[in-house]
Amino acid sequence: MLSEVGLWSVEEVSEWLVDQGMTEYSEALRNVDGRALLQLSESDFRSPPLSRVTGDNGHQLLERVETLRIANHMEVHKNGKHGSSHHTNGHVSITIGNGAISNGKIRNVEPKNGFHSEPVQIHIPLPPEHERTSFPTEWSKTGVAFLYAVCCFVTTSVVISVVHERVPTKEESPPLPDKFFDVFDRVQWAFSICEINGMLLVSMWLIQWLLLKHRAIVGRRFFFIVGTLYLYRCVTMYVTTLPVPGMHFKCSPKLVGNYEAQLWRILKMISGGGLSITGSHSMCGDYLYSGHTVMLTLTYLFIKEYSPRRFWWYHCFCLGLSAVGIFFILLAHDHYTVDVVVAYFITTRLFWWYHTMANQQILKQKSQGNTFSRVWWFFLFQYFEQNVQGIVPRNYQLPLPLPFLWRVLPGSRVVYSRLDSH
Amino acid sequence: MAASQFPDSGEHASDSSGCHVEVTVADSSQATPPRQTHPASDTLDSVRKGDERPSRLSRSFAKVLRKNQDYIRITIPVTRLDRLPPEWWKTGLVFMWAGFNLFCTTVMITVVNDRVPNKSENPPLPDKFFDYIPRQEWAFKVTEVNGMILVTAWFFQWLFLKHRSIVGRRFFFLMGTLYLYRMVTMYITTLPVPSMHMNCAPKLDGDSIGMVHRVLQLLSGGGLTITGSHMMCGDFLYSGHTVMLTLTFLFIREYSPRSLWWYHLICWLLSAVGVVFILVAHEHYSVDVVVAYFITSRLFWWYHTMANNQSLRDSPHNYLNRVWWSYFFRFMERNVRSTVPCTFSWPVQPPTACFKMPCGRYSIVQSIREE
Repeated sequence: MLSEVGLWSVEEVSEWLVDQGMTEYSEALRNVDGRALLQLSESDFRSPPLSRVTGDNGHQLLERVETLRIANHMEVHKNGKHGSSHHTNGHVSITIGNGAISNGKIRNVEPKNGFHSEPVQIHIPLPPEHERTSFPTEWSKTGVAFLYAVCCFVTTSVVISVVHERVPTKEESPPLPDKFFDVFDRVQWAFSICEINGMLLVSMWLIQWLLLKHRAIVGRRFFFIVGTLYLYRCVTMYVTTLPVPGMHFKCSPKLVGNYEAQLWRILKMISGGGLSITGSHSMCGDYLYSGHTVMLTLTYLFIKEYSPRRFWWYHCFCLGLSAVGIFFILLAHDHYTVDVVVAYFITTRLFWWYHTMANQQILKQKSQGNTFSRVWWFFLFQYFEQNVQGIVPRNYQLPLPLPFLWRVLPGSRVVYSRLDSH
Repeated sequence: MAASQFPDSGEHASDSSGCHVEVTVADSSQATPPRQTHPASDTLDSVRKGDERPSRLSRSFAKVLRKNQDYIRITIPVTRLDRLPPEWWKTGLVFMWAGFNLFCTTVMITVVNDRVPNKSENPPLPDKFFDYIPRQEWAFKVTEVNGMILVTAWFFQWLFLKHRSIVGRRFFFLMGTLYLYRMVTMYITTLPVPSMHMNCAPKLDGDSIGMVHRVLQLLSGGGLTITGSHMMCGDFLYSGHTVMLTLTFLFIREYSPRSLWWYHLICWLLSAVGVVFILVAHEHYSVDVVVAYFITSRLFWWYHTMANNQSLRDSPHNYLNRVWWSYFFRFMERNVRSTVPCTFSWPVQPPTACFKMPCGRYSIVQSIREE
């Protein structure tokens, strides 16, 4: 019965009573129509006709009538009528079967629970960011990841400097036999190409990263993975020192005990980014495993992961740069083959491991079935990724709002790429 | 779907014929006989009232009853789906894969032995561990004894597992893959001997019969020095002994009850001591051991995460599928639908046996009659 209660006829009221299982009132309210029903009050139940049939002073019935009143109120508002049924003070006559008329004072029919007609302002406090969105920015965590990466870089430089002192001379320990070196002779300019490729890939990744909308999250991941890979590299470089891979190497002289000069060497290396092309890397001994391979592989993986699927030409180009760079490391006889293979293996595994864990909610908790949680860096991972719900979408956004561009290109402020699915 | 379309129940209130009300729910799309008629409708048939008010009463009755009706039979085909089928033929295939890889590794060691530089040409490389700890001769025997104990313990544990086919498959696959990786790293760059004490077998320049001899000798001795079969050098990066020690320990821990913590502790000690004593004996470089541990543990955890999480297998964002062996993985684990529970049973079933082994969280009582 969805029509307005105020328009109910006596029969409809009667039916409603039966519906509600309140048949005891059917007789007493036999001649009550919808409007009168809405105006029933407690005092009506204290006087004879209704007091005889009610067991609880009409509480139940009154509650149901209250519900009807609210429903009616909403109906009326919905229909746009502000009926006078709300604000009438009036009398209702309840004619009872034996002819007696009782007049009950009807109070102002206003719903008891303060259901007003004018708008009410409800103040909702703004929830913290990580509850508001699935991808909270949290630059602080990115800062922590950046510091971690910087620490790992500095440690690597220190370790290279230490290891340099222990590298056996070329005369003592000639280069080890290597299958690739047997097949391919050394090409001198190849290492510069490799480093140029590396620099290109890093700058392209940097530009792409700046254009990402969720750059805080992605940046955090990049710093963490790079830091961890360099940390592992410190360990493998330090424990065993391989001899130089080729006789062409010119290692800078050893500075045994001269800590100041070693410090200068380290600073020079950090400032040059560890590249030979900038002249900062003249130290030997950092062979297992290859840092150049790590950077080439990792930037390519990140570029591919966080760019639209349909840019296949861009991906191919970056893959070409990366593969050529790695090949040329070996061609220049600057690293052993095993250095490159191990570096590729560790980089790809770590990247896929991290991203699989980040993309599956189920893997973010320690559990029996989640053997991924047994890695030592799991607590760091949880710290970084616990508020990220779901897979980071590939959305792009200019890093700084450029107001003049709005007028030129209206839709260019936030560029949403198609969320390509598999 | 037919089940969701419940037509409105028909109400026949025939006022004229003395009022009996019946409520039927007829789902016209289903061919089953009308067992869906409301059981309460039978009682209504006997309700006979004389005038209009009772018919309204019974209408409301019917309405109330209608709201609570849910007597619908839904037939679900009962499937006896075996979530962990043994599929011994797959295990056999994977065993052959492991055997093949072991054989190839042996051949590779023989080949690499010819490329190892002389001790005088290429002295042992500087190694941090060797700087601190001088060589102990007996240490390598301890390692190999530990390895043999662990392998035996694992073998017996495996024999008593209920799902030994599936677990065996996993073990052989991982072992085969690890030895395959080892072949690659051994071959591409040859490290010099770690210590001057090592006596390498003389080089055979192209003597294929001699090579075959050596391969057979190595295979028969299981690659252990203690059996005298391993006289060859060059297989340093990475260490096969570490692989076996780590892998058997990981499997022992994974497929045994959580409550046997003392057993896990003993195996862990055996494994750790074995690995450290490899270095104490100066038989491998530190980097060999570190890389071997890393690769073994990562591969083990990777495989088991993929196997234990069904949701990962279908997910398109599962980067674990980018490994080259994901095809083999799917082949092996396609029909394994749940985590392999840690239950034990006799390998050969005696006629009346009831083997009970509480497995911590999974207490499953095995009885022959169930199988």
